[in-house]
Amino acid sequence: MLGRLWRRLRLLLSRDRATRDLEEEMRLHRELRAESLHRQGHAVDEARSEASRRFGHAIRIAEDSRAAWGWGMADAFWQDVRYAARRLRQRPGFTGAVIGILALGTGATTAMFSAVDAAFLRPLPFAEPDHLMTLRRVNIPSELRMEPEVRRPRSFDVDHVREMRDVFSHVAAYASGGLNLVDPQRPRRVKAGVVSGDFFTTLGVPATTGRTIAGADGVPGAPKVVVLSWGLWQTDFGGGNVVGTTIPLNTSRYEVIGVMPRGFSFPDESDLWIPMSIPVTDATFEPFRGYLPSTVIARTAPGITREIAETRLRGAWERVVSTLPRERGQRLSVDETLDVIRAQGASTPLRAELVGNRRTALLVLFATTALLLLIACANVTNLLISYGASRSRELAVRTVLGATRVRLVRQLLAESVMLAACGAVAGIVVAPFVLRVLRTLMPAQLAGVAPVQLDLRVLAFATLLAVITGILFGLWPAFGATRGSALATIKAGGGHGASAGGARRSQHLLVGAELALAGVMLVGAGLMLRSFERLVATDAGLVAEHVATLEMSFLRGIRQAQRLERLDRMLAELRRLPGVIAAGAVNDLPLRGGGGIGISVKVDGAPPAANREFPRYLVASDGYFEAMGIALKRGRYFLPSDGTGSASSVAIVSQSMADVFWPGKDPLGRTFLFGGDGPPVQVIGVVADVRESGLEEDPGPQMYFPARTNLDANVALVVRGTDRPGDLLPALTRAVRSVDAAQPVYNVRMMDDVIGKSMAARRANTVLIGLFGLLALLIAALGVYAVTANAVAQRSREFGIRVALGATRSDIAWHVGSEMAVVVTVGVVGGAALAWAASRVMAGLVYGVTVHDVGTFATAPVVLALAAVAATAVPARRAMRVQPVEVMRDE
Amino acid sequence: MREEIPPGTLDMLILKTLARSANDLHGFEIAEAIAAFSGRVFLVEEGSLYPALQRMLVQGWIVGDWGRTTDNRRARYYRVTPAGRRHLDRAVKSYGRVTRAIAGILELSPMEA
Repeated sequence: MLGRLWRRLRLLLSRDRATRDLEEEMRLHRELRAESLHRQGHAVDEARSEASRRFGHAIRIAEDSRAAWGWGMADAFWQDVRYAARRLRQRPGFTGAVIGILALGTGATTAMFSAVDAAFLRPLPFAEPDHLMTLRRVNIPSELRMEPEVRRPRSFDVDHVREMRDVFSHVAAYASGGLNLVDPQRPRRVKAGVVSGDFFTTLGVPATTGRTIAGADGVPGAPKVVVLSWGLWQTDFGGGNVVGTTIPLNTSRYEVIGVMPRGFSFPDESDLWIPMSIPVTDATFEPFRGYLPSTVIARTAPGITREIAETRLRGAWERVVSTLPRERGQRLSVDETLDVIRAQGASTPLRAELVGNRRTALLVLFATTALLLLIACANVTNLLISYGASRSRELAVRTVLGATRVRLVRQLLAESVMLAACGAVAGIVVAPFVLRVLRTLMPAQLAGVAPVQLDLRVLAFATLLAVITGILFGLWPAFGATRGSALATIKAGGGHGASAGGARRSQHLLVGAELALAGVMLVGAGLMLRSFERLVATDAGLVAEHVATLEMSFLRGIRQAQRLERLDRMLAELRRLPGVIAAGAVNDLPLRGGGGIGISVKVDGAPPAANREFPRYLVASDGYFEAMGIALKRGRYFLPSDGTGSASSVAIVSQSMADVFWPGKDPLGRTFLFGGDGPPVQVIGVVADVRESGLEEDPGPQMYFPARTNLDANVALVVRGTDRPGDLLPALTRAVRSVDAAQPVYNVRMMDDVIGKSMAARRANTVLIGLFGLLALLIAALGVYAVTANAVAQRSREFGIRVALGATRSDIAWHVGSEMAVVVTVGVVGGAALAWAASRVMAGLVYGVTVHDVGTFATAPVVLALAAVAATAVPARRAMRVQPVEVMRDE
Repeated sequence: MREEIPPGTLDMLILKTLARSANDLHGFEIAEAIAAFSGRVFLVEEGSLYPALQRMLVQGWIVGDWGRTTDNRRARYYRVTPAGRRHLDRAVKSYGRVTRAIAGILELSPMEA
C-alpha cells in the first residue's frame, strides 16, 4: 500500500521524464511493428501508417497510460489552472480590475484581522491568561507624606485581597513609568514597569536568565534591583552576561538580577522592571509624575470562575468599607469608590482591561472592512456574470462538443479562485499600508503584550479568505453560465443578448445590494467625519499655535526652594528671548495623556457632602495662563508674588468649578477648604475650562495653585512665541541647560503636536472608515457602470432595431436609465434604512453628533445616488450613439 | 480467427508471458509473445498494452529497466516482481475457477474446455 503510494509520488515528481519514457517506448513499438509489417510484405509507408492505425490514437493512449499513475484529478486540475491563466491573460483589463478590487478588499480585511487577532483572539503571552483579572480601585498602602498615625487602612487595600487565598492564588500590583538610563554614550529615558514581588509569578512568566523580582525585593529599604527586557538587553547590553552587574537609573545604581524572555514587555512595552515597595515609598514614585498609576492584578485560584471571584470581591469590599473609620473628608472618597464598585464591578478580565475603550472602534472597523470585502465580492460576481454572459456562446459550443457541465463549472471556478488568489496575494501587499494607519488605533496597553503583526495566522486567514471569496463569487456565475440549453443559446445567437435576461436580474440584485452596503458605509464615514469636524472645532480652552513645551523632572535631592529658584531663572531666560511673548510652568500639561489628581474640596460654610466633584489639582507659575492662552473670565492671573509671604493661600478656579461650587454667585474673594478640612483658600480669578484629559472629555472642575505653594518635581515649561517665533524648541532646551546642564528633559514639542497626538487614534479611525467608505462608493459605482455597460453591449442589436423603427436617441437613453433608476433607488433607500438601524453600534464612536445625525443621513444617500447616476450616464450615452446600420452589418 | 482478449485478463496474460520468459521483455516483445502463444488468436491491442504496463508498474507487479535491443535501440525491459508472481498465482487460480464454472454451465467436460 505504502509502496504504491511512494511509486505514484515518484512518478508525479518525475512526471516529465516518465512521460518522455512512455513516448519513447511507444515510438519504438510503432517502429518495430512497421518493420515487422514491412518484412511481411507491406510497403514502407503503408506499413508505418498501418502500424500507427493499429496503435490507435497515440496521444489518447499516452493519456490513458498516464491515467494509470493515478493523478488524473491533479492533471485535470492543472489543465483547469493553465486554461484559466490563459483566459485571464487574454483580458488584462477585466483581470486587472477584479484583482485590484479584491486586493483592496482582502488587504483591508487582512490588516483588520491582524488587529482583531491581537486585540481579541491571540492568547496573551502569560500562563493561563483567562485566569487573570485586574481589580478596580484597590488601594496600595503608602507611607508618603503621611503622619505615622494616618497609616491605618483608609480603603480596600491590596492586603485585603491577599487575605482571600481561597479566591485568588496570586495578587500583584504594577505601574508603568519612565526612568533616565544614565549612560554617557546614550543617555535616554526608558519605560520602567514598577512591579510588586508577585508580579511575575502572577503572570506565570519566569526569567530567561537569572531571576525575576521576588517578595523580598519589595520590602522598603531592600537593595535596588532591576530585571531587563530581552530588547533592552540586546540593544544596550549586547546580549552579554549582565546578571550581577549594576546599571545607573536616575541617581541610583540598580543591580541586574535577570533578563525576561523575548517578547515579554508587559506592562506598556516596558524596557525594564524595578520592584514596587509595599507600602509605597518615595523611591517607588521616582518613575512617575507625582502619582502612582497602579493596577492591581490577580490570578483566580483553581476552580474559581470569574463570576465567583467578582461576587466574593464585592462582598469583601462592602465588609471592609463598613469597618473603615469615617473621618471628615474621607467619607466622600470612600463612598464614591463604593458607588463605582457597585456600578461597574470590582474586576475586569485582563484582556478586556488592556483593550479598554478601543473595543468598539476595532469591532466597528472590522465590520466595515468585512462590508467592503462583501461589496468587492458582489462586484466581482457581477463582473464574472457579465463575463460569463459574454461567453455563453463559447460555453454552449463546448457543451455540444462533449464537455460535461461539471467540467465547465470546475473550469469557471478555477478562474474565479485564481482571481481570488491573485487578489489575496496583492492584498497582502496592501495590508501593511492599512496596518500602518491602524497601529495608532490599537490600545496602547496591548503594544507590549500582543503587538499587531502580519504572521502565519494572518496569512492563513488571507488564504482562507481568498478561497472562500473565490468560491463565493465564482459559484453563482459558473452555475448561471452553464445553465440552460446549449442549443437554445446557439440558436439565439448567444452572446448577443436574448438569453441574458436571467443574468441581468442577478446583476441588478447584486448592484442593488452593493449600493445598499456602500450606503451603510458612507453613513458610517459621514458620522466619523462629522465627529472629527466637531472635535477639531472643539474649544480646548487654550490657544495652541506658536506654543512650545518641554517636560522635565527635577532630580531627586533638589529641594523645593532650589526648584523654584531654578524655575525662575529658566523662565527669566526664556522671557528674554526676542520671539517669546510669555513663558510659564505647570505640573500637568493639558492633553498629554495620563491622569491627574482630583482633590475633594468644600466651600467654606457650605454643608459637607453637597456634591462629589473632585476638582483637578493643578499647580501653575505666573505666566502660564498667558503662555497657554487660557482666557481669563474674572479676577486676575497669578503674579510672581502669589504664594509667598504670610498672606492666605490663593487659587484660580475654572469656569466649571465656579459653576459647580458657587452656582449663581461670584466666586471672587470667596474661600474653599482644600481636602475638605484644610486651610481656607481664596479665589482670586476664574479662567476658561481646559480640556485636560482629552479633547473628547468634558472638562470637570479645575483649580490652580501658585507654583510657590508646592512645586512638584515634574514640571512642563510652556512658551508662547510671536507670529514668527523662529525655532522655539531648541531655545527651550538651551534655557534649561543654561541653568542646569545636567537636567534631563523630554517631550520637547509644540503644543499643536500634543493636541495632534491626543487626537491620533480618532484621526486614524476616521481616515480608515472614511477611506473604506470612499472605496465602497467607487466600487459600487463601478458595479453600476459595469452592469449598465454590459446591458447596453448585449442589447445593441435591439437598440439598433428600435432606432431603425423610429425611436429617438433620448428614448433609448430613457430606456437604459429607467431600468437602472429602479435599482439605484432601491439600493440607496435600502442602504439608508439599513444604516439607520445599524448606526447604533457607532454610539461609542461619534462625538458631538448623534448616531442619527440628520446632515449625514441627508448627504450620504445623495452622494451615493449622484455617483450611481454618473456611472449610468456614460454607458447610456453610448447606447444613444448606436448606429442601426452597424448593428445590422455585425450580423 | 482473431478474438478480443477477455476483459480483465490482460494483466494476467502479460504477467504470465513475463514470468515464463527467461529474459526480460520490452513492450513489442510482450505483444508478439502473446500473439504467438495464443496462436495469433489474441492480438494485444497496443492501445491497451501500455496503459496496462503503467498500471502494473504502479501496482509494483513489474519493474522496468532501460536497456538495448539486439540492434542497439533503447527499450524498456520488464520483469515480474515477487509481488507480481503472487498476484499472477491468485489471478490464475481465480481464472481457473471461473472457466471451470463456465464450462460446467455449458455442460462440457473440463477436459474439453
